[in-house]
Amino acid sequence: MSLPGWQALHAELESQGVSVVTVALDIDPNKARPWIEAASPTHPSLIDTAHVTNELFGFNNVPMAVWIDESGTLVRPAESASIEARDTDAPIPDGLPERVQELIGEARKIPDIGAQYRGAIMDWVANGAKSEFALSPAEVVEASHPRDKNNAEAAANFELGQHLFTTVGKHAAVPFWRAAHALDPANWTYKRQAWTIETTPEGEPSDMMQPPTETYEGNWLDDVRAAGGGENYVTKPAFLTQETP
Amino acid sequence: MILSELTVSAADFETRTGWAAKPEGLCKGDICVPAPEAALDDGRLDITSVADKLAMPLVHDTATDTYALGPEGLGHSLTTAVAPNLVLPNANDDDNPFLLSSLHGRKVLLVAWASW
Repeated sequence: MSLPGWQALHAELESQGVSVVTVALDIDPNKARPWIEAASPTHPSLIDTAHVTNELFGFNNVPMAVWIDESGTLVRPAESASIEARDTDAPIPDGLPERVQELIGEARKIPDIGAQYRGAIMDWVANGAKSEFALSPAEVVEASHPRDKNNAEAAANFELGQHLFTTVGKHAAVPFWRAAHALDPANWTYKRQAWTIETTPEGEPSDMMQPPTETYEGNWLDDVRAAGGGENYVTKPAFLTQETP
Repeated sequence: MILSELTVSAADFETRTGWAAKPEGLCKGDICVPAPEAALDDGRLDITSVADKLAMPLVHDTATDTYALGPEGLGHSLTTAVAPNLVLPNANDDDNPFLLSSLHGRKVLLVAWASW
């Protein structure tokens, strides 16, 4: 979990007119709070039980971020965000179940964007609108995720499921979450949130493995593979997809 | 947006969706969509009309007679680069919700994460 890293960045940049705001996309606030308390944040630490930031900004996986300038204008749309390097070379421990080994292997293919992404933030902080990483309003809208009728309908189904999960119970939510998954299969927040709830024992921390269930057609490992593998799991910022000269 | 009936106060609608009811229509940032039938005369909006004009899907649960109005399906997840005034609970301040507008004048990195 990267909250301590984002808190450190906030502390580093606060005096330069920059605020980090983190938002937990968690239906159950009590799942998010232990992580927040452990990070002792001084930055605003929001809890988004209905995933409204998915609708308002396009967060369809985590971690993702948007950049907003001093006038309240977005200068980068929702895209994968990381500021820390990951250790992807450590050997996978022996004796793990085969499926877990495969899952770790797929997760390690997720591109490590930490160094370049942090560098881009620092360039924006130093140069503002002149930064090559700050997009124009038209570019931001154009670069934001496509949202067609099905994507919008998926969001409505997800939120109705979230509301019913809280007010009625899981059985009432499942049909709407299944619909959301079918309507917008590229949205990982709808899927991971529902899978986690399905497989996490009561009172336990969230289930990161998200294995197959009888309730949902998908699961983390098979869906990541179907989407092209860990390499394609994130929305890479466009500046990372261009060839470096 | 969760609804128990097919009208909503314009203020609540703006807080949740970023779309404001103005004389020229429903507006988000610099984008306005004419919607003369949407505004009711008591500061409320007709959801059926809003849904039609902004391509917002309306999903209904018959068991509880509850509606969910989805976001605008106008082509992109961002209709405008003007950030909506996000309002959410802040775990650092249980008494006061966070308003994105409170950080006007600063650069903001809004970062999504989850426990899962």
